[in-house]
Amino acid sequence: MNDKELVRVAGTIESALRQLRKSRYMRCAAQLSLFAGTMRNLIGDSRKLAVAMSRDWFAAAEHSCKAVSRQLGEIPFLASNIQSLLDRRHREMPTLSAIAADLWALQQEFDEVDFNGEDNTLCAVTEAISLEDIYLGPFRIALHLDTLHELYQKVPYFVIAVDPHPAATDDAVTHPHVSHDVVCEGDGAAAIRTALETGRLVDFFTMVRSILTTYNPDSPYVSLADWEGVPCYECGYVMDSENSYSCTYCENAVCDECSAVCVTCGEIVCKSCAGTCEICESSLCPQCAKKKCSECESVCCGSCLDDGLCPDCKEERDNHEEETEDNQDATTDQEGSVLGGRLADGGQRAYGSYATLQPHGVGQAPVFPGPVGQ
Amino acid sequence: MKILFINNSGGGFADYLDVNDQTTVAQFFKDKMLGEQPEDYLIRVNRQPVPRDYVLQANDRVTITPTKIEGAA
Repeated sequence: MNDKELVRVAGTIESALRQLRKSRYMRCAAQLSLFAGTMRNLIGDSRKLAVAMSRDWFAAAEHSCKAVSRQLGEIPFLASNIQSLLDRRHREMPTLSAIAADLWALQQEFDEVDFNGEDNTLCAVTEAISLEDIYLGPFRIALHLDTLHELYQKVPYFVIAVDPHPAATDDAVTHPHVSHDVVCEGDGAAAIRTALETGRLVDFFTMVRSILTTYNPDSPYVSLADWEGVPCYECGYVMDSENSYSCTYCENAVCDECSAVCVTCGEIVCKSCAGTCEICESSLCPQCAKKKCSECESVCCGSCLDDGLCPDCKEERDNHEEETEDNQDATTDQEGSVLGGRLADGGQRAYGSYATLQPHGVGQAPVFPGPVGQ
Repeated sequence: MKILFINNSGGGFADYLDVNDQTTVAQFFKDKMLGEQPEDYLIRVNRQPVPRDYVLQANDRVTITPTKIEGAA
């Protein structure tokens, strides 16, 4: 910026600071109005209480007391708010020449400083920033003068990556402490606010730069350790370390979609290492996938194996055993006792179980259906 | 003599202070920023960088800004 532009920009900044000063007084007025309203309510409730007591209306008196109690609860907060605003109302307004001197010093401090007249934005560009060998590039700190008077409601500046190298897991995070072009000021919040209130532009821009050149590992949007992400071994999806799983067998990192939990032992496995129960199709780790049906050798999970057999083989064995039992029973009956004496001429023997000799009466035996010896 | 001291550590407030004549910037920093290292700060007098043995003058504006400020998420 040449001197003429510098003075013009200084004038714009002075005007913005005057708006900011006005907004401070307006906030004081708004809070005082709230406080006055609360006091009026208190006075009203006090009168109601007096009337209620004069007529022995205890229910009404109790109602008034509750209202008074509510109002009193709000007063400390309102009073504290007003005091805080009053303490901050007075900020020394810089002169036009002081602002111009600051702009001049800003150009010495930063290689690139410019003013966009269209949106009244004063910008300073940092040098390229690297943190822990991770290149993040230069950042443009853009102070929007039109919104400076709303300093207490919203952030009037943005931090835009000039050569973005965002976190692999979130494009909006261009710096560990910048998300969606807004820096989280952390320890610098109060000092930055004060610098803007008093028009100390060099201090404001240098403090934002100090945040960008410092890494706080305790509170980043994305940590530098996860900056380049972890690719899933199976599908290549880039994830952060908190959302990745490690296969117990091959120790490769896999994403949620490509990981499975062994239904028998609960170990986490990747798709490559996982086996599958051929009956219920549940995932199995390589160890548990060694269990097989002793008959057909199908891979089975613990739930599907019964006596070492898969359900089909088990059913088949059970059926076979039943048939075997039935056949045995039938053979035994064919060799049963002769009903009533010796059979003549080698006649056919009676089938069925042993006849009960004389069960119901003398000389009588129960008769069973079926062919009888001839 | 009086100087204006702007400390951008913490709250970032400005105060007029009395300092002895012949006080250098290095001495002033040592007095006001106990235990801190000058290398961790930007020290400017009247918005300009100055050598450590610069002798402060009446009405000088001394600004001390940390070069390391921890942001958050």
